[in-house]
Order: sequence, then structure tokens, then C-alpha cells
Amino acid sequence: MLNSFKEILAAAKLSGVKKLVVPSPAATDLPLLAEASKAGLIIPILVGAGGSLAALVGGSPLAGEKYELVDENDPGSILGRAMALIRDGSGDILMQGGAAPQELLDALRDKEQGLLPKGGVVSYVSIFSLLKREKLILVTDTFINNNPTLVEKQQILMNALQLARILGIEAPKVAVLAAIEQVNPGIPSTLDAAILSKMGERRQFGKAIVEGPLDIDCALSQVAAGRKGLQSIVTGNVDIYLVPEIDTGHLLAEALVFFGKMQTAGMVMGTSKPVLLNLPFISAENRWVEIALACLACLKGANNG
Amino acid sequence: MIRSLSDFARLAREKGPKKMAVLAPEDEEFMLAVKKSSELGYIEPVLIGNAKKIEEAAEKVAFNLGSFQKISGDEPQGISDLGIRMLFSGAAPIAGKGQIPTSYIYRSIIREEAKAGSDMTVSVVTFWEIPGIDHLVVFTDTGVNIKPDLKAKGEIIKNAVFVYHLLGYPRPKIAVLSGQREVGGKLTSYEDYEGLQKAADAGDFGACEVVPATSFTDIFLGGRDRRVDYGSITGGEMPHILLVPCLDTGNVICKLDFFLDVTRSSLVATSRGPVCIPARSDFNDNIVQQIAMSVVLADRMEKEVQ
Repeated sequence: MLNSFKEILAAAKLSGVKKLVVPSPAATDLPLLAEASKAGLIIPILVGAGGSLAALVGGSPLAGEKYELVDENDPGSILGRAMALIRDGSGDILMQGGAAPQELLDALRDKEQGLLPKGGVVSYVSIFSLLKREKLILVTDTFINNNPTLVEKQQILMNALQLARILGIEAPKVAVLAAIEQVNPGIPSTLDAAILSKMGERRQFGKAIVEGPLDIDCALSQVAAGRKGLQSIVTGNVDIYLVPEIDTGHLLAEALVFFGKMQTAGMVMGTSKPVLLNLPFISAENRWVEIALACLACLKGANNG
Repeated sequence: MIRSLSDFARLAREKGPKKMAVLAPEDEEFMLAVKKSSELGYIEPVLIGNAKKIEEAAEKVAFNLGSFQKISGDEPQGISDLGIRMLFSGAAPIAGKGQIPTSYIYRSIIREEAKAGSDMTVSVVTFWEIPGIDHLVVFTDTGVNIKPDLKAKGEIIKNAVFVYHLLGYPRPKIAVLSGQREVGGKLTSYEDYEGLQKAADAGDFGACEVVPATSFTDIFLGGRDRRVDYGSITGGEMPHILLVPCLDTGNVICKLDFFLDVTRSSLVATSRGPVCIPARSDFNDNIVQQIAMSVVLADRMEKEVQ
């Protein structure tokens, strides 16, 4: 089981070299790609107008490392070309590069040209490294889905469980978060949480323990949960926090970074191959961890739940 | 100007003891907080609830209730109504909740506000004391409104601005929080930000300012390079009031004190005085902190009324 970002990096180095496809890379992506290439994790495949790409790489640290260029002069076709490389197996991992995030998500969900298996949901999982002990926690969905339905939450949870298994967490403990720990028909998030918890009880998520609704104090502290009369092995030792909607998810991830100074990385899940975004609350150093994570996801076969 | 929770503790000793209607103090942890607050000179409790259960809780924490006023009652709504009526009638400048579900308290407050014709919405302010930030930060509404609409959010802002004015901040800064990011279209919470900013500019909420920031990335990184660098996180632009989009978000974030290096303290500010509403999982030191805060706000509200 991988308990720290350091362990993710070490494990990824044993995973073999992967081809990482970047449409319209930015100059700021290149030092990161160079280091990952140098470490033997990836060979970057840069997609864009040949002349300008060559010039961009020429003056960067990537010039001395292994990389490939794919010439695509039509700016409107660069992302499509990158996606095609992933679909035909020439590439293993897709990185956002210069694609606008919405354009990328739309492309991933495209029925013919996308990377989303039928019935799947694209979601984003944030991984945080705990401050006081060596453990990784997952929080989802922190970027993609605004107000997921119960069916979508099921998929979002399955995606997170897939990532937990990539990290080697055998029986992930899941907290389905809501404002309170009681089931209250006036608070819809508590109803979804209760249903997901019941699904978990009936083994619909395989080897996972799904507890909900849980408010954050019960999720974080067994003592607090005890004072509210709640006994569960999930409380105080959660692996996956499933949030009710994006206001909560996005702000929670940011709060852990900015108030808690907790290190974080993340990955798009649900797609047939790993996809990496470029989010402002991921530090330059931790984008490295994301590449390593994506390499591990390739190793496990498929990225989709 | 009150900048830290210790300011509340210091001022509560100066301004107390104040009479506090204590509703159903039947749990050891809560009773211990009442005992400590009484010994610190913050409050003179009026104990309302089941006499036997109150005696038992007091005995467990070695608290001699001898001279304090006691009013017996068994039914939660009745106890709550009685205590909140004491607050609104001026018989006690503070009320505090023990083992009664918060919904009963809110119901009593809503009724009394209606009777008083105050038009004041009931909402909870949760203070955070954050190391390195030179003022207290409030999250609101963290307790009552499940999914407030634009109008309700305006009322919630007014309540928090009222509290900050009492703390000595003439023009508090407000961030209307949202999960708005580059994907997924425009969120309702972001539309609310746009509406509230206009309303604030028009002076609808009194002296305050809605800042152009809806996320922690906006607040912490501002217009600078939009990439977090752990070595340079300062929070220098931190607003005073953080309006949360809904109850789920508010509750999840404001209780991160179980995880992060921040201290939390909550209360409800009614038009007639503060109501202390500790969470069922709060520990006695945290409850004492909330009582200290209530004492200081009660004192300042009394002066305002005069």
C-alpha cells in the first residue's frame, strides 16, 4: 500500500516508461516533462505546429531528453490528434497541455472520439497527504461534476475506489459527507449518502466500507462520532471522502491546501486511459506526483471503474 | 477591535458575569463548560430543564448549583421557548443550548423575532482563529439555512456584518464563496456572488464590502501567478466574512478544525442577544470559548441598545 507521495514516485519508477501525450504544451510544462523523461517515467509526445514546437523545446531542458513531436498545424485539430494517439494506443497518458479545461472535458465525453466508456462518468479525485501521519486520503469530486445525481455519485465513488485500489488500499473506508450525520429528508445530500451507504452494505461497491451520511467531525474524529452515538470503523480513519456537490468539493480541496498547507495531487478518473489536468492548487512539485500516479494507473491495466 | 478568541476571554472576565438562560444542561461536557464559565466569572446560569438530569450532570462534574436559579421543564420545545423568551424579554442577555436539538431553538428564535417585528433571519456565524491571520474570520451560515437563495444570503450577510460592527470593524470585507471554476458553466453560487456584490455596492447591507474573490485560490493567490507555492501562503488578503454557498459546504468546511491548525467558535446573533449553540460533538473548552464570545457580544449589544 502506498502511504505517501514519495512512495508513489518510487513505485512509478518501477512501472516502465509510458508515453505521455501533451496537446499544445506550454513553456512552463517543459521542465516538468524533462525531469519526468530524465527519470525514465515517460517519453513526452508533444502535439502541435511542428516549427513552433521545435523552437519551444529547443530552448528548454527537454531538449536534452527523450521526446517525440507530432506535427499538427491546424490549431482546431491539435486536441483531437492527441486524443487519437491515446485511442490508437500510441500514447498511454493524456495531459491537458494548452487545451482549455472545458474543451478537454467535452472531448473526453465525446461519444465517438472520446475516452469515456459507455455509461461512465468522468470525475476528478484529489489525493492529499495527511499532516500528522503517513497516510493518503482521497477527496472527490473536487473539480468536474457540479451537482451529481445519485447515479452519478455511484460512478464517482466507483472511480475513486479504482484509484484507491491503484494505491493498494485493499478495503477502502468511505465517508459520504453531508451537513449532518442524521438522515434528514430536508437535506437531500443525507438521503443520497444513506442510499450509497446501504449499497455499500449490500456489497454493490465490492470490498469497501461505505458510511453515510457523515458530517465532517464524525468523519475526522472517532471521539466526536462517539459523542453523537455513532460507532463505525470508518470514523477517524477515512480513505475516501465523497462530497455532495462541487461547491463543497472544490472549496474543501482548496481549504485543505491553503489553510492546512496539505500537499495534494489529482487525476481524472472514469476515462479509459489516465488524464491529467493543470489546476492552480496543485504545486509545480506535485504535478510530478500526478505523472507518477498516471504511470501507476497504466500499470494496473485500465483507468476506468 | 477584537482580533482573537483570547480577546473574548479577557473581555468576558471584565464584562461578566451575565445572566445566561441555560437550556437542558444534561450532559457532562456541557455542564462542565457551564461550571468553568461560572467560575471564570463569565456567567450566572439560569438552569432550565429536567431537574433530576441537571442535578446528576452537575454532580458528575462536582458543580454546586446551590444559589443558581432553576426552572423545571421536560419537553424540549417548551424548554427552548422559555429560554429564548427570557432572552427576548431582557430577563437574560444570553441563552445557551445543552441537550436540545438545535431545530427547537431555531423555531423558538424565529417565533420571537416575528413577535418582535425585527425581520431578522436566523443564521449561525462560526469564527475561525487562524495562525498568521491578524483578525477573526467568520463562516456563515453554518447552521440553519439548507440552501439559501439570493435574498436569504443577503439577510445572512447582514447578520454577520452586524456582528463584525459589534466587534469594532467599521467596514468588514466579505467573500461570497462558490465552487465556480473554469468548467461546468456558471454555478448558482456564482450568480449569487454577482447579485450580492451589486447589492453591497448599493449599500443594502450597510457598511461593508463584497470583495472580488469567490474561492480560496482567489483569496490566497489573488491576481498573482495562479499556482500554489507552499512556501509563500500567507492569507494576507483574507476577508472577514466568508459566506458559504449552502449548509453542506458550510458545515464541512467550518468543522475542519478537527483536522487543521485553527480554532472554531460558533453562535447565533439574534436581534436581542447571542445564543450559544455548541455542536453535540464539541468539547467543554470549546463551549467555554463560545460562552465568552456570547458574553462580550451581549455586552456590546446592550450598549448599542442604550
